[in-house]
Amino acid sequence: MPIYYPILTHIDIEETRRYAGIAKTPNFKTSMLQKVCTEAQILVSPAASWSIYPYDALTGEILANVPLQLSAKSITKHLANATQVAVLAVTIGETIEQAITDSFAQGRYTEALLLDAAATTAVEAAADQVNALINQQALQVGLASVFRFSPGYGNWDLVIQPEILKLAQGSSIGITTTPSCMLMPRKSVTAVIGLVPNHSQTNLQHSNNSCTNCCQTTCHARKESKNDPNI
Amino acid sequence: MIQIFDGAMGTMLQQAGLPAGACPELWNIENPAAITSIHRQYVEHGANIIETNTFGANRIKLTHYGLSDKVQLLNMAAVKAARAAAGRATKIAGSVGPTGKFIAPLGELSFEEAYEAYKEQIAALCESGVDIILIETIIDIQEMRAALLAAKAVTTKPVICQLSFGADGRTVTGTDPATAAILLDAMGADIIGANCSLGPAQLLPIAEALATATTKPISIQSNAGMPQLINGQTVFPMNPAEMAAWVPKLIAAGVTYLGGCCGTTPEHIKAISQAAADAVKPTLRLNLHNKSTAVTSRSKTVYMGAALPTVIIGERINPTGRKQLSADIKAGNFSSVKKEALQQIRAGAHILDVNMGVPGIDQAAAMEQAVNELSMLVDAPLSIDTSDVKALEAGLRIYPGRALINSVTAEPERLEHFLPLAKKYGAAILCLPLSDSGVPATASERVIVARQIIHRAMAIGLRPQDFILDALVLTVAADERAAAETLETLRLYRKNFGYPTTMGLSNISFGLPRRELINAAFCAMSLSAGLDAPILNPYNPMMQDALSASSVLLGHDQSGRRYSKDYAASQAAPSADKPTAIQPGDTIAAIRQSVIDGEKESIIPLVRQALAEGHSSLTITDQGLTAAMNVIGEDFGANRCFLPQVLLSAETMRAAFTTIKETLPSAQAVIAGTVVLATVKGDIHDLGKNIVAALLENNGFQVIDLGKDVASEVIVETAQQHQADIVGLCALMTTTMPQIDQTIKLLKSSGVKARTIVGGAVLTADYADQAGADAYAPDGVAAVNLAKKLMANEKALL
Repeated sequence: MPIYYPILTHIDIEETRRYAGIAKTPNFKTSMLQKVCTEAQILVSPAASWSIYPYDALTGEILANVPLQLSAKSITKHLANATQVAVLAVTIGETIEQAITDSFAQGRYTEALLLDAAATTAVEAAADQVNALINQQALQVGLASVFRFSPGYGNWDLVIQPEILKLAQGSSIGITTTPSCMLMPRKSVTAVIGLVPNHSQTNLQHSNNSCTNCCQTTCHARKESKNDPNI
Repeated sequence: MIQIFDGAMGTMLQQAGLPAGACPELWNIENPAAITSIHRQYVEHGANIIETNTFGANRIKLTHYGLSDKVQLLNMAAVKAARAAAGRATKIAGSVGPTGKFIAPLGELSFEEAYEAYKEQIAALCESGVDIILIETIIDIQEMRAALLAAKAVTTKPVICQLSFGADGRTVTGTDPATAAILLDAMGADIIGANCSLGPAQLLPIAEALATATTKPISIQSNAGMPQLINGQTVFPMNPAEMAAWVPKLIAAGVTYLGGCCGTTPEHIKAISQAAADAVKPTLRLNLHNKSTAVTSRSKTVYMGAALPTVIIGERINPTGRKQLSADIKAGNFSSVKKEALQQIRAGAHILDVNMGVPGIDQAAAMEQAVNELSMLVDAPLSIDTSDVKALEAGLRIYPGRALINSVTAEPERLEHFLPLAKKYGAAILCLPLSDSGVPATASERVIVARQIIHRAMAIGLRPQDFILDALVLTVAADERAAAETLETLRLYRKNFGYPTTMGLSNISFGLPRRELINAAFCAMSLSAGLDAPILNPYNPMMQDALSASSVLLGHDQSGRRYSKDYAASQAAPSADKPTAIQPGDTIAAIRQSVIDGEKESIIPLVRQALAEGHSSLTITDQGLTAAMNVIGEDFGANRCFLPQVLLSAETMRAAFTTIKETLPSAQAVIAGTVVLATVKGDIHDLGKNIVAALLENNGFQVIDLGKDVASEVIVETAQQHQADIVGLCALMTTTMPQIDQTIKLLKSSGVKARTIVGGAVLTADYADQAGADAYAPDGVAAVNLAKKLMANEKALL
């Protein structure tokens, strides 16, 4: 099981804008956004762990020592061509969470909201890096990757979170789940990446616009997509 | 002559019967005849360099098979098996592959553990008689550095350094080919190249990039195309003729060492060898950057030189004269160091100077920590600024790039201790013309001292592209010739050496008023005299202006494009960010506008002014603040503004309330209603709920915020205790939504009369209905409006 500490040499301001719900407000104080992105960069401690398992697409089973049955249609459909899966967990740590809470408590509401958006940007960027590592590793043996899919996407119920975290061995980087299946620290991500034999990639879902599959159509951070059936 | 390596070993071993999952290196002792046979096939098919079967024969990798104590044995046997197949002209390259673990701070393996493992393996290979060390398939430049340093520590034999790049042209940990070539060349790699991961088509541009950055020979060993997984088997699609077709292009790009990696066979090598024999012979490559000096981080190269744009070396990570920064470094808290790094880069710095000169601390430990943290945070190369040799080595050893050493003087001790470290770690050196006899006063004396440093450096093997010359800046208030001598030094440096130049500018203005003005003027003059990389405070706006203007004037900013982009706006109409001017008699309108614009700073004097003019707190609140929030609320509802803007207005309003309270402590606010607010049990999200609380408070509600993960019993109890008018409940996730139902049920069964408003990411109006809530709020602004409406209804009923 590899552990990797991603390098974040910047936090994308445009993504932060999007998560803060101001993608369509280009005039919103850029200096303030820059300040929170810098602040966030100092406060995050990105860490990731993952493991790769064989996967039986016919039965929807991740073939770990203790196999995990996937039953939600959104995930089994997503993994329809996969022969292996990478299960990953990524976090940026607890410190930034405290800073968001403190900012709000001190009356800096906007800063808290923007810092929260920058933190989301950071954890996604960290996950992107690990995703790229897994993609390259897979490519070596002739496997292509489908985009990462997290519990909660589509109709994949969050109650699977503890099992997914276990397969990713997320506890080794300090991630736990609450009884209500939320990840702690809050800015953490778990996901499954389907690995598909390279020659069968004709049916691959290449889109990494995960918003397309999300039913929160009024979400302020939703990415626009021409193929989005919900728009 | 083009040198030809062999092809794949792993697949050949499998064909020879190596069971899947077995340790390939174990066959060096268990079945050496099979190994020799594979080598022989490659030799017979045209390879003149064969690679030992030791790719994974390091202690860390062998642990996986329980063979970590067999490093010496397996490597020796491998060399013996290769030697048995070698012809008279065949060279044996000792293959050294990755440990399979990431080195800290990217992973858990320490740099020293990796270094020791490589040292052990490479020593074993050398003792067994290999001709060359081949470090290959490395995906992280730090691992390559560990292996190369280990090789240099145990042998003088040639070392080939081959990295593996991804389809994006970088290693997975972010290093591009030019950056790798510059760093590895400086560290003493003899041949630099790439192998595995990609086919020849994808490796061609990488070979080209390598060839522009080094004059060392280039080696390329590609896979037989991009692999496919067919019936559970990894298959490489390129046949020998297809691979050989790429050979002339690779040779034309500058490659002189060719071979194969995954999926290649003796037939591939035969085709490659023949194609190489037929190809046009390579010409001698010229160093494109011989008039410049480059430094690198893990992922970026910065070039300095006369023909290149000015490079800014940020000087702010220096505790000298800065109490807080000193205290933070001393306490091991590097947040302020990190902040300085990021802010300097934002202000335009290209290289960051790092000085840990806090008296009474372990400078080596502080430097190691600073370099480690910064290498994870910024992609700007670092300049290690110290006079402490231990701190210098600590920083250089751990840095995954080619650093600049600030500085090397002509003092014997510095020459003796600093120059070998520059050579060992491949650093560039900043030559500061100071000697035992002190500071040379004139330009010509400075040239003499600089020459002494350069001669000594060249004698131990440093190269022309390793130097940056400091022109030395003294204080003009103490010596009126100070500026003139520095400028003349720059001119003489350019004329006599041609190496890039640097200097710390700000010393010139010491003791004078408006120092920034003198500094900026001196910067412009120095750039004209030949200054390439000033060390300065990048936050100084006047210096930034001088640099931007000079860039146009020196021809580094073509047609002034960048200048125009940065400065055109400053000629435009006054910025909208400026506080609204207060018109006499219109203070309430100005307050309204200030809240709408979210101008927290301007609201305080406005409120004070309104009170002084005799407006009551009620008038200010109703006609100024509340009216403004109504406008904001409408704009939000109509998608004309968004949540962060609403919050800026809310902060402004809060500042106004605080000012009213401070100025008129007796002013009584009217309470619009009492709201108990909570994120339900099991849910740990509270930012959205906090926003609702802030907006409600601004609108005159008394809010009892119970926080997150709150049990329904606590919510009921609090609502009863405070006779709440409204209970606001928030749930963000599907797993915690049912708590909304439960809490509402308990509120009702306990006889709480308060109305309920519910909200949160996954909640919908339908869900709110079925849960029995009085209202559903899709966002914070809606929650406030609903709360007002519910209170108005209550009043109407009374």
